[in-house]
Amino acid sequence: MLATVLTLIGRRVLLSFLILFIVSVLLFIVLRALPVDPAAMSLPPNATVAEIEAKRHEMGLDLSLPQQYLIWLSHAVSGDLGNSIQFRRGVLGLVASTLPATIELAVLAMLVASLLGLAGGLALFHVRGTAKEPALDLGTVILLSLPEFLWALFFILVVGVALRWLPFTGRIDPDMRLPVTTGFLLIDSWIAGRPDIFRSAIEHLILPSLALGIAFSPAIMRVLRSSLIDVYQEDYIHLARLRGLGEKHILIRHALKNAILPTLSLMGVQFGFLFGGTLLVELIFSYPGLGNLMVDAVRNADLPIIQAVGLTYCIVVLSINTIVDSLYVILNPKLRLR
Amino acid sequence: MAARAFTSLPPWLRSGRVLIGLTIVAALAICALLAPQIAPHDPNEQNLLTTFLPPAWMQGGDPAYLLGTDSLGRDVLSRLIYGARVAMMVAVFASFGAMIVGATLAYIAGYFGGRVDALIGRAVDVWMSFPPVILSLILMVGLGIGLRNVILAIILVDWTRFCRVMRSEVLVIARKDYVAAARLLGFSHARTITSEIVPATVPLLITLLSLEMGVAVIVEALLSFVGMSVGPQTPAWGQMIADARQYIYDSPWGLILPILAIFLAVFGFNILGDGLRRTLDVRVTAQRT
Repeated sequence: MLATVLTLIGRRVLLSFLILFIVSVLLFIVLRALPVDPAAMSLPPNATVAEIEAKRHEMGLDLSLPQQYLIWLSHAVSGDLGNSIQFRRGVLGLVASTLPATIELAVLAMLVASLLGLAGGLALFHVRGTAKEPALDLGTVILLSLPEFLWALFFILVVGVALRWLPFTGRIDPDMRLPVTTGFLLIDSWIAGRPDIFRSAIEHLILPSLALGIAFSPAIMRVLRSSLIDVYQEDYIHLARLRGLGEKHILIRHALKNAILPTLSLMGVQFGFLFGGTLLVELIFSYPGLGNLMVDAVRNADLPIIQAVGLTYCIVVLSINTIVDSLYVILNPKLRLR
Repeated sequence: MAARAFTSLPPWLRSGRVLIGLTIVAALAICALLAPQIAPHDPNEQNLLTTFLPPAWMQGGDPAYLLGTDSLGRDVLSRLIYGARVAMMVAVFASFGAMIVGATLAYIAGYFGGRVDALIGRAVDVWMSFPPVILSLILMVGLGIGLRNVILAIILVDWTRFCRVMRSEVLVIARKDYVAAARLLGFSHARTITSEIVPATVPLLITLLSLEMGVAVIVEALLSFVGMSVGPQTPAWGQMIADARQYIYDSPWGLILPILAIFLAVFGFNILGDGLRRTLDVRVTAQRT
């Protein structure tokens, strides 16, 4: 049984690497289609045509596209993703210093989305067939119509500007300093024994993660509701009723256990989308993560950063999907026995 | 009489959701089509003497500027009306484009199955490994700004939404007896797909199309918020939000109004899609960005 599970997971991991390879090729092609010349951009404006040509040769831009890609790939696998044109720093370092902030935000937001999604799904299921159903249903359509950046702006207006309850820019108060250990503020502040910084980081995370979490909760609600409805058609639920089990017991011990599988697999897909949603939320809350790095690079046509950050998003999404698929295999007894 | 006329309508037109959705979408479409006639001012006309006016009903409002003015003294109402143009153009063209690409591939994958299906499935997997926001942003970098490129970028990102859902539907329909009968009658593959399979998927297509229009409005708004959509000369809702965000303390209305406009448009398409889904009785799980 363990061997089957491992084979399935192994196959999934291999597939992820294949996808990552294809994505890196596509990304390379799209970004080379740009009408900008990285060689000219990395030289002062008064550089002569000959100097630009020399730089082009030095950067390998006069080679064919497949050759350029192979050179990039060989550097990339050894951890060298090139240098940023605007910051003149290694791209890998820039990504590594911003990724923890984005992961912190995404994980917290996913927590919000899951809690709201599960609670909302149960509520929707609970009111099925009653007079309250249309109202709650309309509520989910309204929730689905509000993307994360509208929630973000709404929270800034109401909670940040009007009520002044919570901060809405950055990761911590600007006068706080903390040595970087892991890059995750919530962990580093514990290591350094600074509860004040931990508190500040949490306060700065509340609004962004709420905005992102709320926006991604309605899809989870709907799937949980419909899978619960499906499960309740099954014979074992009727059987449990005939055995005289209470409704609460049936819901928790029998129905939820089975309805959670499709919900879990949707949550995997949702987490991928949510991870992309951090971009806008980071921008609006001036939160120094991958998203702000990306938007900055896009505005300045900083190709090495765009390429590396694009791949980083992709790697994170693929890792999440692989983990969720593996969990699915482990948790699903039907797949396990095969 | 009126009641009888109402009940004789097809069921999908009797749904309250569909009617609400159609009303909102029609209102926005009229704003978009007749923007030059409806808008009280030129959307780009600046008046630095009357900046940050609140809406007319507030203290200090000017009836000539019903919803107030922005940081450059431009009329917010006129900019909202012109902004509907970009939103509706993108909603219509991008979602039809995404439907044509995604559905065509889904018909091919679901009908032929086997290797073709596996290949298209892998392509969807590759696309799905990219968060849509990131992919559309990268495509805009590659394509350059402009209305046509925004539409193209959204098509290139969102065809998978149609392809994923339609493929499993086509897979079921293609195994039906009447499809086999059509083949036995000597119909070509192309004719079997267009005359036997496509009609059976029309309800699902319409529902997905309506939901995709809402998604397209959101994507355009966030691209123009980042400044990677239409140029600065064309009023767009996302761009209005980006401008107003810098003056949040001077004029919260400049931020609230475009937010409401985006919400209204997306809600209109979503409630229409939801109503159609129920009345056309299609099984589809609504997924969003």
